[in-house]
Amino acid sequence: MRYIPRWLRRCLFNLFAWTVILVIALPLVWMIITSIKPQSELFLIPPAFFPEEVTFEHYRRLLTETPFLTYLRNSVILAGGTTVLVIVVATLGAHSLVRFNYPGRETLAGAVLFTYLLPSVVLVIPLYFLMAALGLVNSLLSLVIAYTTFALPYALWLLRSFMSAIPADLEAAALVDGASRFRAFIDVILPQAAPGIISTALFTAILAWNEYLFALVLINSDASRPLTTGVMSMLVTSFNIEWSLLMAASVMMSVPLLVVFVFLQKYLTRGFGAGAVKG
Amino acid sequence: MTSGTNIQTAKPGRTLAARDNLLGLAFIAPTILVFCAVIVYPLVSAIYLSLFSIYTPTMEGEWVGLANFQELLAKGEFWRSLANTLLWTVGTLTLQLLFGLLVALMLHQNMLFRSLARSLVLFPYFLSTVVAVLMWRWLFNDLYGIVNHMLMWSGLLDMPVDWLGRMPNAMLSLIFVGAWKYFPFVVIAVLARLQTIPDELYEAATIDGAGPIARFFDVTLPQLKGVLVVIVLLRAIWDFKEFDLIYLLTGGGPVIATQTLPLMVYKEAFALNHMGVASATAVLMMLVMLTFMIIYLRKARD
Amino acid sequence: MSGLTLRNVTKVFGSTTAVDGIDLDIGGNEFVSILGPSGCGKTTLLRMLAGLEQPDSGEISIAGKIVNDLPPSQRDIAMVFQTYALYPHMTVAGNIEYPLRKRGLSKAARQEKLEQAAELLQLGELLRRKPRELSGGQQQRVALGRAMVRDPQVFLLDEPLSNLDAKLRAHMRAELIRLQRRICRTMVYVTHDQLEAMTMSDRIAVIRNGRLQQFAPPQEVYDKPANEFVAGFIGTPPMNFIDGRLAADGSFRHGELRLDLGVLQLTQGFQPAADGTPVRLGIRPEALCFDDDGESARVTVIEPVGHELIVMLDYFGVEMTARVAPNCEWSVDDEVRLRPVIDQLHIFDPDDGRRLNAE
Repeated sequence: MRYIPRWLRRCLFNLFAWTVILVIALPLVWMIITSIKPQSELFLIPPAFFPEEVTFEHYRRLLTETPFLTYLRNSVILAGGTTVLVIVVATLGAHSLVRFNYPGRETLAGAVLFTYLLPSVVLVIPLYFLMAALGLVNSLLSLVIAYTTFALPYALWLLRSFMSAIPADLEAAALVDGASRFRAFIDVILPQAAPGIISTALFTAILAWNEYLFALVLINSDASRPLTTGVMSMLVTSFNIEWSLLMAASVMMSVPLLVVFVFLQKYLTRGFGAGAVKG
Repeated sequence: MTSGTNIQTAKPGRTLAARDNLLGLAFIAPTILVFCAVIVYPLVSAIYLSLFSIYTPTMEGEWVGLANFQELLAKGEFWRSLANTLLWTVGTLTLQLLFGLLVALMLHQNMLFRSLARSLVLFPYFLSTVVAVLMWRWLFNDLYGIVNHMLMWSGLLDMPVDWLGRMPNAMLSLIFVGAWKYFPFVVIAVLARLQTIPDELYEAATIDGAGPIARFFDVTLPQLKGVLVVIVLLRAIWDFKEFDLIYLLTGGGPVIATQTLPLMVYKEAFALNHMGVASATAVLMMLVMLTFMIIYLRKARD
Repeated sequence: MSGLTLRNVTKVFGSTTAVDGIDLDIGGNEFVSILGPSGCGKTTLLRMLAGLEQPDSGEISIAGKIVNDLPPSQRDIAMVFQTYALYPHMTVAGNIEYPLRKRGLSKAARQEKLEQAAELLQLGELLRRKPRELSGGQQQRVALGRAMVRDPQVFLLDEPLSNLDAKLRAHMRAELIRLQRRICRTMVYVTHDQLEAMTMSDRIAVIRNGRLQQFAPPQEVYDKPANEFVAGFIGTPPMNFIDGRLAADGSFRHGELRLDLGVLQLTQGFQPAADGTPVRLGIRPEALCFDDDGESARVTVIEPVGHELIVMLDYFGVEMTARVAPNCEWSVDDEVRLRPVIDQLHIFDPDDGRRLNAE
């Protein structure tokens, strides 16, 4: 290695690194390219990498000729509702686990961690029965409730990690200054936890947006389907798999993710680091 | 300044400590409530349901005791599914660790457009499984998929390969796609840890005469050990219980060649309408997971 | 009735007793330091006074009222934390106003008090800034301001100067004293720095392993330490100790060293045996004289500190530290004649450390 000059080593490394990254990103790139290729170019053998002609025909058809927009609306309601519910419950719970000291607290924390490991496929059957008994089958509300099974433990874990990084003295100062424990929570802890809460909210929203199994079991009518099961049903119900439409749908489903990534990436990596590394 | 005190009189009854504890419990009450409703109750139900034979559409059934379990353990399909699950888990976890470590080490260096690189690397993890599956099914398409065409164009293949419909291709494809989707988790966790390793350790090692390979094994790896133990545990659990990816990519096929336990539970419950057997399968699956977890944690503690 | 009282206060964490049966009576308008090494329980004690920890047994009273069951907000106290604990998302003005908002004061009243505090502590120009834009000294003044606007009965300060550099610390020490005299309130000041305690306090409470060692004014703690620990902890350079035997006739022996301690009065109940009882002799550096009546000692280290020399000597096998005028011309390995001044010596029990000579 000594004989390779530094600048060349840098060059080779960057070449290697970017090749690896492009290979990882290749499926994404191909998905986007396919979605803008006109139908005629789609089925060429061998397939051409770059389209000769760019078209947004598939997107237009997706939005006008399929229930895509309905699915989209449902996914938005679902992600929004789940996030609001989970954030409110988890913020209160995380504060309790971090800043209070009642008997059984450690056991509760351990139990929360344990629930994180439960397979959804185990819970989905009884949840189906529960929702049927409550008359909630086929409603988005049933999904919001069901999603808390995995979203809540994860949010608690993340928020717990964020909130334990807030110095204990801040709350103590507020208490001495005349705040009750609850007011100290609102006045001092919440503002400090804001970045962590945003990270957790993003994660929760993404989890809810991407979920498949519960949506598959608990929702049967097209009007209430979210994007995940909706788009897959588009695949299954046609004789000819409309790849162009599906690729366009895939791209559109990923747009919110893209937006979050471009503008809010630091919240994601911070949340990821807090949750993952803390174990 | 005026004197005169603002000290109030304590409320009779509870001590300060007791009141504090009650408030703490009040904060966590919503969480407990939700948990009891959507986790504790279904978990207990699942175990309870496994002792019945239930017809899914009508949700009516009769008590059969442990018959479901006996039937399952005697059937080859359960053991085949368990083997598939283990094969899938070990396979994809190994690849996730390898890719993850490599890419983390790579991203730890100074490189051009580092933050763009990080975004692109993270993307597969946050993508919806549905999207990932659709993408890969298109890529693996035997006629028009570019995977086949690139391999043929580079001379590695003569004929297009059926990646998802035949064995061992299906399992291999599954393992690979799983690694592609989930390895960023390893990247981020390892990268976060790498960034906390003090430079002085490397500097000391360099002064002591260690080359890059020695530095990796003697400085980096020991520092990563802690986080790797956690990553392996988490990913093993999540890969083991993975449903969406496998169901959508191969559906468990061909036949049951890639059917894992979670898929079997779903099939029993909703395709074969044997709700009780499905619950029993789920209970057995959890027992397997629990056993492995305990063994792993015990080994990790040493 | 003002001030605060602790009666037999104890706090246990798991298997460690952090605070062990402490009794303290602090008067209104007194500046009291709680002094001790790290981990001695002083911060726990302060937090119990504040209401942030609950004692396992014992009573805490402020201005005559028992406050055990009162939360911090209702005890009429204010606290300055070691880390200042300023609210990062509020401005300086917001920080100082916060206690007033909690009490429900009108905007006008708050404004008035804010201006008073700002003037007293010279914070006028900083009111719009956020804490992260301030220097350590400025943050400390804001923390003080926030404490003062409450006009509490008692101020609790947890090592507030330890994060400042030496020069600023000296300046702030004087400022704090001036402040306390002006506002005439009780201040309880926790520190591990004996110099701070000595220079600032009306009385010092020395704590070790959760137990109170001595509670007295600074000069008394220095001149008449209650036990060996206090003697060794207070004063810099620290006290020298020589282990030896004290006989009934007043003669002290350590190896070849002989000293006549007859002039020292012993406490009642302590009777040295005829052939000698083991004791520990305590000699402050300034109690060492260099003249021809002394015994031979060898210079081992010389540390010039500008206004004097700190000299370490080998005296009968024991390392002694002494203070010498800066123009002294000794060098290392010189033989000099060292004489302890007997009536400034202290005698301690080598087992439990209590002082054996009376006044």
